[in-house]
Amino acid sequence: MNTTKFPPWAGIAVLVAMVANSYGEEPPMRDVTTHEQLVSKLRQAQQIDPMKYMPAVTGGDPSKVYQPKDILSESDIIAFQRVATLVPKRAILLIPKNYQDRIAMQPGAKIVGWADFYAANRGWITTVEVSRTQAEGNLALPDDTQKHLSECGNLVVATYMGGPISMLPHKEPKTPDPKTPTATDPKAPKTTGSKTTVTTQPAKP
Amino acid sequence: MNSLTARLILIMTGTTAWTLGDTIITYTNFIRQIQQPSGVQWDMSVAAVSPTGGTLSALGIEPGGARYELWTVANTSPLTSYLLDTKYVSTYIPGATVAIRTGDSTYVTIPRTRCDQPFWVDVTITGLLTGATNPTASESVNLLHYVQSYGVGGTGVGIDRNQATLLTTASITTNGLKTLTYTLTAIPGTPLTKIRGEERFSVFSIADYQSPSTQLAAQFVQIWPVTDGTITGITAGQIFRAAMPQVTFTLNDLYPSSRTYAQAYKGNPVLGTTGTVVPGSNLVISDTIPSSRVLLVNNYDSIFDSDGVWTMELLTVTPFGTDRLAYLTFTLNRTIEINSGMTTNE
Repeated sequence: MNTTKFPPWAGIAVLVAMVANSYGEEPPMRDVTTHEQLVSKLRQAQQIDPMKYMPAVTGGDPSKVYQPKDILSESDIIAFQRVATLVPKRAILLIPKNYQDRIAMQPGAKIVGWADFYAANRGWITTVEVSRTQAEGNLALPDDTQKHLSECGNLVVATYMGGPISMLPHKEPKTPDPKTPTATDPKAPKTTGSKTTVTTQPAKP
Repeated sequence: MNSLTARLILIMTGTTAWTLGDTIITYTNFIRQIQQPSGVQWDMSVAAVSPTGGTLSALGIEPGGARYELWTVANTSPLTSYLLDTKYVSTYIPGATVAIRTGDSTYVTIPRTRCDQPFWVDVTITGLLTGATNPTASESVNLLHYVQSYGVGGTGVGIDRNQATLLTTASITTNGLKTLTYTLTAIPGTPLTKIRGEERFSVFSIADYQSPSTQLAAQFVQIWPVTDGTITGITAGQIFRAAMPQVTFTLNDLYPSSRTYAQAYKGNPVLGTTGTVVPGSNLVISDTIPSSRVLLVNNYDSIFDSDGVWTMELLTVTPFGTDRLAYLTFTLNRTIEINSGMTTNE
């Protein structure tokens, strides 16, 4: 059996909070509610369900089509020395071999926000500020940035205004169709960036 | 569109610690912005803002809008996450807020109440348009009511919220505040006094060509069971001529914010009577989930100052009032009567 120990003032604090309840005077003492009492109460409650008096929705459950995904399933965990944080999946651009064991929760680790975690771990984490266009995969990181990151030996995390951001896979420009204007044609679409050479996490479905 | 920013109203940021048994559980909050339709996710750096209040999002939203999610993550094993609030921002999608009020104002992280208590749902809709040329998605929103049981002894840790049951749906076509009153939980289960689970109210936008039906706002309330308790070691109607025996108070499903104790007073049971607290029976719970305890109490004779009929009651005080869990009467007859005769002989 778990035993919780409280300081003497804890009881007083709870009582004060109860008394401070904003629902008027404290109700008189009563015998604890029974199942039979609730059966009768439930019957009445079902008849006065307030949503039954509003127009019903046609169609299926929209949450089955789109529902917020659990932040834990949409995040990678970085942990070191019993402190951990969450970053969006695809925000980690590079995981050196010697830091791979830090991409998982450690038992008993305290969870902190990204800013606090990064402040304490600047020695082995490098951030790269990206633009919204780069995060959307419409523009690759410059070659020299990629080269620098791949050689720095640190864990690399993509950030936008200091907050970790997921980087969608770079969308390769379509192969020019012979019938479309050539690169020398002034009407040809300009391509920026180049193919990513930084070792990144494999794209997950 | 790129210049659009969203002002976030933060319920809470930073870290909060609660005690669960011998373990200190910390809750850490994250604000995540999810761009539509690209799906790019960005974590706001919440250390830059005050513990409560608002800040501007630095990431401009896309044509499909952006959804903001306020999560709290508990360092349990495995980790547990709770979606505290969501907001969806777009050019013509209506706005919505959902707030749930209960009789328990002692805990602010997650609205909670007991399964025999009422609660109130405040749904506020803004930005609905009327007119033949307006997009369908701007003219109405859908309100959905889900229920999900935690099961026997469950606490909600690790549950799959996709398994929640959709109970009722309603269409809202007018702006403003609507307060829905629920006198009792709708979570199925038996006995009705032992229901534990959560009820969620979500507002969804109508799907259109730019974005799918999206959750605009949601809030859930945790429902905890009614406490039950027994007194053993003393039998109703028993007569005591010597020291009182050891008494055992068995308490199940103590409300997370409660004080429970036994009291005794002279006379037959009368509800509402204030007696003397039985020494060693006072138990204060300040937790995030219900708990159960067994208390063994000895050496409490000092509270009985005279012979006669006495009543012992087991009471629990919660934000909803004082409930008598169990009671019994017994008789004290500790006066020694000596019948004797005296004779004299001259």
